Amino acid sequence: MYIQVFIEVFYLTLVVVYFAFIGFFMWVTSRKSRGRREESKAEEKGAEKGMERDEKIWLVFLLVVAIVGNIVMLSPAIPSIRNVLWVNQVPEKTFEIFIENYEFKLPKYPVRIKVGQPVEFIVRTNDVTHGFGVFREDGTMVFQIQVLPGYDNRIVWVFDEPGSYTIRCTEYCGFRHSEMVVYDAIMVEGG
Amino acid sequence: MGPREKLALRFVLTAVFWLGVAGIEGLLMRAILAGMLSNIYGVEHFYGMMTVHPFVGIYGWAYMAVLGAFYYLVPKVLNKELYSERAAYMSYWTLLLGVLITWVSGYVFKFASLYTLYWPLPIVRFPPTSVLVFSIGMLLIFISVLLFFFNMFATIFLPQGEERGAGYIFKKLVTLSFNLDEIKARIKGVKDYIPGVYSYPVFIVGVFRGCVDTTLNALTMTGLASILAVFSLSSLLGFKLPTSLVDPLVYKNVFWWGLDLVADGNVLIYTAATWYFLVPMLVGRKLYGESVVRTVILADLVVSLFVWNHHMLADTPQPLALQIQGQVVTWGELITMGLTIFAVLKTIWLARPVKYSTPLKFILLSILGYMIGGSAGILQASYALNRYLHNTQWVIGVHAHVLLLAGLTLTLFAVIYALAPIITSKELDSRLADIHLVLFFSGAIIMSSAMGLAGIEGMLRRTLYPNGEYAEYMYTALAGGLLMAAGYLTFIVNFLKTYGISTVITVFKK
Ligand SMILES: [Cu+2]
Repeated sequence: MYIQVFIEVFYLTLVVVYFAFIGFFMWVTSRKSRGRREESKAEEKGAEKGMERDEKIWLVFLLVVAIVGNIVMLSPAIPSIRNVLWVNQVPEKTFEIFIENYEFKLPKYPVRIKVGQPVEFIVRTNDVTHGFGVFREDGTMVFQIQVLPGYDNRIVWVFDEPGSYTIRCTEYCGFRHSEMVVYDAIMVEGG
Repeated sequence: MGPREKLALRFVLTAVFWLGVAGIEGLLMRAILAGMLSNIYGVEHFYGMMTVHPFVGIYGWAYMAVLGAFYYLVPKVLNKELYSERAAYMSYWTLLLGVLITWVSGYVFKFASLYTLYWPLPIVRFPPTSVLVFSIGMLLIFISVLLFFFNMFATIFLPQGEERGAGYIFKKLVTLSFNLDEIKARIKGVKDYIPGVYSYPVFIVGVFRGCVDTTLNALTMTGLASILAVFSLSSLLGFKLPTSLVDPLVYKNVFWWGLDLVADGNVLIYTAATWYFLVPMLVGRKLYGESVVRTVILADLVVSLFVWNHHMLADTPQPLALQIQGQVVTWGELITMGLTIFAVLKTIWLARPVKYSTPLKFILLSILGYMIGGSAGILQASYALNRYLHNTQWVIGVHAHVLLLAGLTLTLFAVIYALAPIITSKELDSRLADIHLVLFFSGAIIMSSAMGLAGIEGMLRRTLYPNGEYAEYMYTALAGGLLMAAGYLTFIVNFLKTYGISTVITVFKK
């Protein structure tokens, strides 16, 4: 299971909950209610400045979601941020890749890596913005970064599954953009 | 039909036309990605279409509709005259011409650097004539919207019957947009000071604060379009300026800072303002928690100035501190949007039992659209998850298109359904409106979800797949698109059935 599937499941769950909520809300609010029309408590008292209790509770809830969300997103639970914020793994290998004339120039074909070994990719170009994306055999994405011209675009990655991986340009760079694919560019061995 | 009504309808009908054009482009692009039409549409055509599509959709449809609605509503709510009707008509023609020229630059001149215009792609890959045509289109668009903003600010802030200059308007705008008068009063220790912004209805506050964002957007884009114009002109005149004059990373930061303001000014703040206006009118009860809502609009404005970095999470040379800052502030939009939706729903709740009229149904589903598209946005705007989602169909599907089609577009249609009877004293058929809503909403969700799920499977945006790798998803997306098209046509039929072609002709006659 790769991480995007968790995102998908989480997202679809939210969609179902939202649909149910709006549907329920429309049903309840259109039903004939018994008794008089409610007024908000503060409006009854004539004081309207500041928040009412239920709005305060809602604000606290939103704040908690935002704080917890940020903590989870910045936590080492997500592999892509582990090497950036949490463990400073020294790359065992560095691969310098150059992009020119819609082509990836790899140091070797294929690039060989071992499972669990931290490696660094430095991708450079002098023409236009490209992207550097690594994909599994089934087409799903392992990771991607942008490749800005004139800059060292670096990423440290640890592959946790053996297999052969494809490199693809992930940013539109002109009419020949979709030709920028190198199948089986990376061989990850061991495990 | 008076001159005000005519002006509003002219904008709205032109907007609806552009929505149709954007829809056709969208359908064609999905069809091409599903492996069809490859004998008619080549690579150049595909990317040219993709380049103009957002301009047609955002400036042709959304802006045109917003301009029409606000030219009509702002003076009405304030019980004033529009500052300048002539400027309003000028903004109509410049916007129409601007979108048209941008469209021509893609279709005829094959300009295809996509709306991102990442430096130096437009200059390196495309002929200078095409760049020049495109930048002229872009400049016209932004001249038009700047005319609109000025007209709005002047209408809102100029006291009736008094002669005041632009300096006066600017000072009032800045003071009231950021509550500077309140801050000043606090520093001086004035007790129980009521900020000047309280003398304006919430809707108007939303309009001018949203216009602050979109003005900054227009100024940034005018600057970038000017750079493109200068580079292409100079190379047409025979001396090539080196592209190294502009740094790609700095350019990207400026671009996204400016561009994101259209998402937060136009899409979020205008939408909120429109809900605050329409919902109380439709349920016959005043807006819940007005003072909180005013603060939320201010928070939205401030937050929107600091979220551009969520577009740059895949750029590793970008400083890490900015990446984290972009993520954290973006989550702030969850709070502002959450409070906005709360105020709207609570207003409906307190007015129950509510009769769900056509515009109110559109608003409820629009809120649902914002909830779905917003949640997707927050996930992809997180630094860690962006590594797996950036530039995939996820971003453009379940985030952008859900927000724009289920969210923004349904709110704009709510405005049209609500205002049409006020403007023309005839109501649109509510059964056809229901069909429009169901087809359009379900179509938007089906199309965007199919794109989003393709993104989860690794399908990139801005990329042709000549071997049809994701064709099944694209067929589903195409089916969703066709549902939307059917909904759109239902609206057209409804409009013509109710008002007749003669109304359309009157609107466009001098
Ligand atoms: Cu490329």
